[in-house]
Parts: sequence; C-alpha cells; structure tokens
Amino acid sequence: MKTSIVKNVVKVILPLIQIFGAYVIIFGHVSPGGGFAGGSIVGSSLILYRLIYGSERADRKFIYFYLLKLVSISLVVYGTLKGLIFILEHLGFNGFIPIGVPGNLLSGGLIMPLNVLIGIVVSITFYFIATLFEEGELENVNGAE
Amino acid sequence: MSRIIELFPFITILLLLIFGAFLTPLIKKKSSIVRTNIAINIITMMMNLVTLVYVNNYGTFIFKFGHYGSPFGIIFHIGPVEVAIAMMFSFVITMVSWYSFYSIEKEIEEKRVGFYYILNSLLLASLLGIVYTYDVFNGYVFLELSTLAACGIIIVKDKKENIKAAIKYLMLSTLGSGLVLMGIAFIYSISGHLSMEYIHEAIVASSLAKENLLLISIVLFSIGLGIKSAMFPMHVWLPDAHTTAPSPSSAILSGLVIKAPVIFLIKIYYVVYGFEFVNSSRILQLMLIFGGTGMIMGSLFARRQKYLKRLIAYSSVAQMGYIFFGIGLGNELGLIMAIYHILAHGLTKSSLFLSAGSFIEQTGFKKIEDFKGIGKEMPVTLGIFTLSALSLIGIPVLPGFISKWNLALASIDSGMIYLLIVILLSSLLNAVYYFPIIINGYFGEDNLDGKVFKSKSKPIKELIPVILLTLAMIAIGFMSGPVIEFIRSGIYM
Repeated sequence: MKTSIVKNVVKVILPLIQIFGAYVIIFGHVSPGGGFAGGSIVGSSLILYRLIYGSERADRKFIYFYLLKLVSISLVVYGTLKGLIFILEHLGFNGFIPIGVPGNLLSGGLIMPLNVLIGIVVSITFYFIATLFEEGELENVNGAE
Repeated sequence: MSRIIELFPFITILLLLIFGAFLTPLIKKKSSIVRTNIAINIITMMMNLVTLVYVNNYGTFIFKFGHYGSPFGIIFHIGPVEVAIAMMFSFVITMVSWYSFYSIEKEIEEKRVGFYYILNSLLLASLLGIVYTYDVFNGYVFLELSTLAACGIIIVKDKKENIKAAIKYLMLSTLGSGLVLMGIAFIYSISGHLSMEYIHEAIVASSLAKENLLLISIVLFSIGLGIKSAMFPMHVWLPDAHTTAPSPSSAILSGLVIKAPVIFLIKIYYVVYGFEFVNSSRILQLMLIFGGTGMIMGSLFARRQKYLKRLIAYSSVAQMGYIFFGIGLGNELGLIMAIYHILAHGLTKSSLFLSAGSFIEQTGFKKIEDFKGIGKEMPVTLGIFTLSALSLIGIPVLPGFISKWNLALASIDSGMIYLLIVILLSSLLNAVYYFPIIINGYFGEDNLDGKVFKSKSKPIKELIPVILLTLAMIAIGFMSGPVIEFIRSGIYM
C-alpha cells in the first residue's frame, strides 16, 4: 500500500477530494449535499492520508488534542447558534438574519454556517473512528499530550 | 416574563448538551470539569423548579421548536407530570454528581473522570428530552441517546465485567429500541403523522379498520420499552449492568434511566392510542401480569443474592414491577401511583445505591455477609440505608408505603381484590431480604464484636448529598397528598 505509485497518485488527488468536500459543504443549501455528505468526503481524505503516509506522519499533522478542541468548539457554536434561533423565535424576534436571493451562495439564513460546522464535526469524527480501529484507543495516539 | 419561563425546559436541555457535554473536553483541570458540571446541574435544577412553580400556577404549556406547530414541527408538552419527573431527575443527578465529586476517583481512572461527567450531562439531557417530548420519533432519538450514554457510564470503569455487562445491555437495549422503531413505523403507516396528538386523531378516525395493525404496534411498543425499563421477563441485563457499574452510575441507572421509558410508554398508551383502545385491547392485562410476577420474582431473586449491589439491583426489578402493576390496573389511581412510584423509587433507590457504594468503598467488601456490624462502624450511612429500605418495604409515612397503600386501593377499585395478595406478598418479601442486612448491621453481640464506633464512617460533608436525597424522599412521603393531587391534575387519562 505504500508504494511510490500510490503515494504520488494520492499526492495529486488528495487536494481535489478536499476541495470537492468543501464544495459539497459550502453549497449544501443550494444543491445536493450538505454538512454530513461533505464532511464524510473530507473525513475520507484525512483517512486516506493516514493510510498512505503512515500513522506517525498523520499524527504529527493532525494532533489529537487540537482536533478534539475543534470538534468541541464547533459543537458549542452550532448549539449556541441553533438554540439562539429557537429562543429568539419563541420570544418573537423574527427574521433578523437576511435570507438573501434564493440560489445565491449567501442565502438561506444560517444554514450555510451551520453546514460548515457540521462538516467539521463529521470529518474529524470519521477520522477519529478510523484511528480508533487502528490504534485501539485514542489516548494512545502520539501527540495526545 | 412567562414567555421566558416557557423557554426553560428547552434551555436546560441545550445547556446540558452544549456546556455540560461539549464544553468539557476544552477544560483542562479535572476539578474545574467537576465544578462546571455540578454548577450546570444546579442551574438545571433551579430552572426546573421555576418551571414546576409556573406549571403549578398557570397550568400546562406547549413549547414549539422553530417556526412550526405540531404536525410539522416538534413540540414539547410541559405539564405537571413532566415537570415533577424532570425535577426529580435533575435533583437526583445533582446529588449524585455532588457525591461523586468526592468518591468517583476511587472507582474509575483519573483520566476518565471527564468522560464520566460528559456522559452524565448527555444522559440527563436525553432523559429530560424523553420526558418532555410530544413527538414519537423525537422520543425515539432521545431514547437511543440515553442508551448510549447509559452504556458509557457503565463502561467508564473499564474492567472486564463492565465491558461484558455493557455489551449485554447494549444488545438488549438496541433490540428494545428496534422494536420501538418498528412500532413507530407501523403507526406512521396507519396515520401518516409522528406527532402524538395527530396520530391519536388519525387512529380514532380509522380504528375499526386497522385494529390488528394497531394491536401489533402497541405490543411492539410495550415490549420494546419494557426491555429498556426492565419489565420482569426482560430484565436480564439489569443486574449485571447495575452491579458492575461504579456506585454513582448505578444510582443514576437504577433511579432514572429505567424510569424515562416508562413515561414514554404511558404517553404512548394514553396520548397516542387513547384510553378506549388501550382498555379494549388486552395489553393492560399483560402489563398487570408482567408487573405482578416481577414484584414477586424480583424479590425472590433478590433474596438469593450474595452481593449487596446485586441484591439492590434485583430489588429494582421488583420495584419496576410495582410501576407496571400500577399502569396495568387501568384506572386513574393506578396510573397516578405508577407515576408517584417513579418519583419515590427514583429518590429511594439512588440513596440506597449511594449508601451501599459507600459501604463498599470504605470497607472493600462486596458480599452481604461481610457487612455484619457495619452499623457500629458507619452508623449514619446505615441509617440512610435503613430509611430507604424501610420505604421500599412499606413502613407508613415513607413513600413506599403511600404507593403500596394506594395501589391496594386502586386494585380494589378495579374489582380485582386478589391482587392484594400480590402486593402483600411482595412487601413481605422485601422485608425478608432487607431486614437481615439492617439487623445484622446494628445488632448482635457477635456481629459488633471488635468493631470500633465510627471507625470507617465517611466525613459528614461527603454524606450530605445522600442525606439530602433521603430527606427529599421523606418529604415526598409526608407531602404525598399535594404531590398526588399535582400529578392528578396532569394525568393523561
């Protein structure tokens, strides 16, 4: 699996996979896709990196502690934004986020930022699950303090 | 102002999910993790208290998620039953996390303490969700979440028997939620709705034509939720899981986790299907039989146990039998007493597990025969244990007596006087297995020989949460009249 052919091919396609994943996430509200679909694409690219270049290099690049922090912050921001919308709606403050022209990138209220947050969480969780199967336990991963 | 108070049930769940669960990985110091979580639990409890007072004064209200009402959106139905249960849940969890602040590190590894508190918050959030929700599928999602979190707080101890017990629990629980999902699929195909009230309307409109489908779905719900809440023949996962878990987790599992599915089942029966259908189908007789056998067989099993925590776990099976018995009686008083017993048993069993946990922690023993003379070494803790055990046996004023008395009245009401024998027999059996522990703990020349007074007792500040739990239990017994009236005002029948 670690022949130079695979490594070189992956070097080329990895950025493409990630750009496609980002596209699916960001355009989730105007086209098919969304946070989960795009996040799983980005996550698969991270897993691919780990499989091809070995766990040591991947651990140096994706440090467990920072990824965990990123997931937690994304979840907290997601919950706060979504909860705030529900709360404000209940209190009668409606429509203060501009909806925009349907079909544009900047439209649909908060859906796009929420999709981005979901994408972050899903991609990192996919990567964690793959790591979990390889290492047995996440705390054993290098760089976890 | 009232609009803000109506937000509180939603805010508590959000707070627990966001700040209780997902903020915890960002905190580095262990002690601040614990403090944050206890603070969040206390805020939750206060908010629930305010909601309770509000519901008591102004009656039931409905919280709409987002912009849409019931058939399209998800709603929370916050009535007297819901707030009472939610108040009990948050109170017990607050006390248990206070207790585990001092003692959890003795049972689980230090690096897992953070996980334990994350899972605790997730668990409380999902349980509150199950209690509040008025949407079948939303309830299913919360049910799954609660299962995973409950498995987590068993497995957090990371011993061989924990993993075994948790896998057993996970398997059976997944089977249970699979059956619930099947039931939801059946009623969705009949009615085309997931909101409880709208399903009920559709069922009433077409009940005669689809009677068999409805019957299948109600059996699926009963068995599925019965597995999750340890109804007698499906209780096999409970003793292992509740015995091997760390004591604070056992208190939560036994006090709260098996209670929330019962509330969901009651809602399914009386909100989704309606009293007429449930009464005309034979499902309530099934509940009565399962509950009655559970009351007796659970106690018989408990009597045979050699380990203290296992005995208490089997006693939970028997007490769940009372709850299903109350539901199965099929009259209003029975249902009220089922809900009252949920409150009573949640408080009682958690203080029982916590005091048993402190015996085990201080002495290192696990078998019942080693606890002879414990009353001289740990008088206060055994006192708490005694009060809780007396409540389960059914000594007057304590809540166990109130629910037994009223269940007896309810079974006379329903015309089945022979059921009194079951209640009486179960009470006697409770006495048979709890009294030896208490008597051998406090009395007997041989037992007390060589024991030093208060030599092993915990500092009083570590016992305050357990004492508060016991006081709440006694209070709920003393004020049973108002509590029962409060539950009656929001009963689903």
